[in-house]
Amino acid sequence: MTGSTIDHLVATIVFLSATLLFLSLFNQTIQTAVLYQRHRYLATKCSDLLDNMLLSPGIPSDWGTNSNKNLTGFGLQDPIANQDPTFAAYKLSPFSLMRLLSSAGDRVYYGPTGKWYSNVSWGFGGGYFLLQEGDCINYSLASKLLGVNGTYGFQLTVKPTVTVTIVEDTRVTSHLRLNITVEGLGGPLNGANIEYLIFWTDSAGFYKNITKTDALGFVYLDFNGTNGLPNITKVSLNQTAYTFIAKANLGGLYGIGYLSREIVTKAGNIIPFIESYENGIILLAHKWGKNDPGNQSQGALHYEATFYMLSESFIPVRTSITNSTGHVNYGQGWPYRTVQLPPEARSSPGFLVVVYKFGNEYGMVVMPWGIGTIGLSVIFGDDPSGKEWVATDIRQVLIGNIAYQAKLALWSLGGFQVVG
Amino acid sequence: MMRTVEVLLVIVIIAGAFTISSFFAVLPVPRRVSPQNLRMLAATTLEILDVNYDLSRIVFLNENDPAWGELQIALSACLPPNIVYNLTVYEVITDDGIQLYLPKKSISNAESLGIGSDASSYLVASSNVTFKFIPEKIGEKWGGGTLYILNCSDARGWWITGYTAHTLAQDLYNLLSPYFKTTIMVQNTTDLAKILNGTSLQDETVQHAVVINTFGETVPIPSGYYATQGYYAPRDSYSLYCYILGQKTRQFNWTWVSIVGYPLYYVSNTDLFPNKQNTWGIYGMREVGSAGFNAFLRGLNQINYSAPWWDGSRWRDAWWQDQYGNWIYVHGWITGDYRSNPGLASVPLSLEARYYCNYYGVYPSAYHTATRALPSWITSTYNLTVTTYIFNSVGGWIAGAVYRHRVSGALFALGLTRTPDIRLTALGILCDYKPRLYPLQYTAANATRLVVLQLGQTGGI
Repeated sequence: MTGSTIDHLVATIVFLSATLLFLSLFNQTIQTAVLYQRHRYLATKCSDLLDNMLLSPGIPSDWGTNSNKNLTGFGLQDPIANQDPTFAAYKLSPFSLMRLLSSAGDRVYYGPTGKWYSNVSWGFGGGYFLLQEGDCINYSLASKLLGVNGTYGFQLTVKPTVTVTIVEDTRVTSHLRLNITVEGLGGPLNGANIEYLIFWTDSAGFYKNITKTDALGFVYLDFNGTNGLPNITKVSLNQTAYTFIAKANLGGLYGIGYLSREIVTKAGNIIPFIESYENGIILLAHKWGKNDPGNQSQGALHYEATFYMLSESFIPVRTSITNSTGHVNYGQGWPYRTVQLPPEARSSPGFLVVVYKFGNEYGMVVMPWGIGTIGLSVIFGDDPSGKEWVATDIRQVLIGNIAYQAKLALWSLGGFQVVG
Repeated sequence: MMRTVEVLLVIVIIAGAFTISSFFAVLPVPRRVSPQNLRMLAATTLEILDVNYDLSRIVFLNENDPAWGELQIALSACLPPNIVYNLTVYEVITDDGIQLYLPKKSISNAESLGIGSDASSYLVASSNVTFKFIPEKIGEKWGGGTLYILNCSDARGWWITGYTAHTLAQDLYNLLSPYFKTTIMVQNTTDLAKILNGTSLQDETVQHAVVINTFGETVPIPSGYYATQGYYAPRDSYSLYCYILGQKTRQFNWTWVSIVGYPLYYVSNTDLFPNKQNTWGIYGMREVGSAGFNAFLRGLNQINYSAPWWDGSRWRDAWWQDQYGNWIYVHGWITGDYRSNPGLASVPLSLEARYYCNYYGVYPSAYHTATRALPSWITSTYNLTVTTYIFNSVGGWIAGAVYRHRVSGALFALGLTRTPDIRLTALGILCDYKPRLYPLQYTAANATRLVVLQLGQTGGI
């Protein structure tokens, strides 16, 4: 009797232990499978969401150029491509992208207007793109319109596929020498054809020419009056400023880069702020305070602003703007001046060039009108760092005819476990 | 002891079940759990490489051409470093109705594409081959689809210098008739009267038609009813006829097209006005002046011809006298020109128009001079919406656009200086209606190649 009881007890204990062990083993397998399924769903959702953004112009379709219209559908496709009867697919609007509230750089507060500005580019290569936040589409609104608010977080990055880097060779002081490097994601573009435009303070307009990169994707240009190139001197003395834009292509792949010679004179320098997107109003603001030159001078900084429309044929067309010349200064005078683009220029990609001078010192800054004109990148959305599981997907897209990559990072906010 | 043995047997069975189920429940490798959509990446890569038809050009080159090397560099440059590719070009040969795909050239940056890959294909045609297409017919889906081209033999034109209405009508017919269900040349003012009455000339649909006035600043006027009803005797003016045209445009939901200059500035009928001239020596027509277009807009917006109007400070009669004693109808002269608005000296085609130049293969000059640009305020005053800009708006002046009324009817006015470029008229209509072009057949055999881009991922598991 006792032996039988012990037998039963041992058998029950062994059976229960084995059952628990196998339950946990089965559960682990099922849990892993469920996690895998969720990851796969997240990846599929990422791909779908990216296509939703890139294959629809949004509602209204011209929201990129009309900031006074309420956005009721989020999409970045170029509305003209959308109307194309053959449906040209992944071509993005350079203007819709302009209106995305940038998460790339710190927001910029400009005291004289008391407003915050979205910072797409702050002076990199002399290029500025600062749009008043009131005219921007923020992440929260985009999430709601995409139907992922509270369920998924995302970050959209649209950056040029080809990087055209232009650097002034400071070792050469007798004339201007520019070193150009053309690189793609997988390496340099050797033998790439380059069309370039250069505008400098002594020129009446843009000078255009072509060149080609070597086996390392590199080429330099000596503007010394030889080989048909103009003679551009006194750059190292800050007595000549320039804006250089280069468009590279190889095997059907197009990229663009720029360099504008921005200096801080004794009277400061100038930054353009887009005050009203709808009306094309741009503030040419005295940069005093950000790059404080010290107490040497507080004189007036004279400027001349010019707007050029730049089509896919890469021929700049000059357009008249209001208050194209004037001066700004520090303190009680004119902290900024207002220029306005004409209506016909607001719906055409282009760029604003501002030449400023103090005494015989010259500087130049450039501001694109339409992402893609000079190859700026856009980062929009939340920060994916620290998130448990982030799915990403990539599409090759076009802005104008410049190749860009649109990358979407997506993660779940649903609260369910995504990591085993 | 027996119980323990039985339990052990159960454990063996459960262990066996677990092993067997684990064998079948194979979990995918992590890369397949959260994959990148390589198929779409490949498709979009091929698209961007063909943005200026470079890919289409290269795949037809000799296999030893250096351009293949450029394509390989471009491919490597535009794909992320962890992506490997294989691009294969096939020649498409049609033999007895069977399509054969012969591999012509393959480029790759890896020996294998890893454990998983995906591909997209892209069909290209040789750039030196023309192909036929079938245009979608305007009106096929939504009704209408009739194009009336005014080619009245008993009327004369103005501001069509260097052309006659007949030659312009013929060119328009050649350009636009493939896109419409029915194209009818309105050969005389009698036929014009018929369509104004809503009567078909050749069993076509009068409703929703496009009516192109090839007579420039002049509009043909039928004798009889319309000459009588269209004459406003108190001011000796045929502006009432233009008012009726506006009404008819609204009634039949027409798109009225003015190809050049000031719309409806003269009326013409060589039988009706044999001894009248337009003050420039062209007989068979009478000047209506700016009253014609103002009356048309009123007719389109269903405002009574004689209704008073608000000039911004006070109400005025429809006809009023200026300080010189001249009789003015409503707003009087409303167009702008380059002398007062320098931006109109060279107005560029809009982005949309430039885009459709390529699609429809119509290439007018990209810049034109406007001397009769319409003010943008007419849109709010007369309930119009600009559906297509042919030219960019310049300082509130529109050199060429399609204005669609909120209720019915539309106007397409090109306010350019003479001589008219008829391609702009065709482009504007096509831009607004956007008929599709369906490829039909290639005119050369074996002129198609299939490009297949296969992508794989390296690294990881």
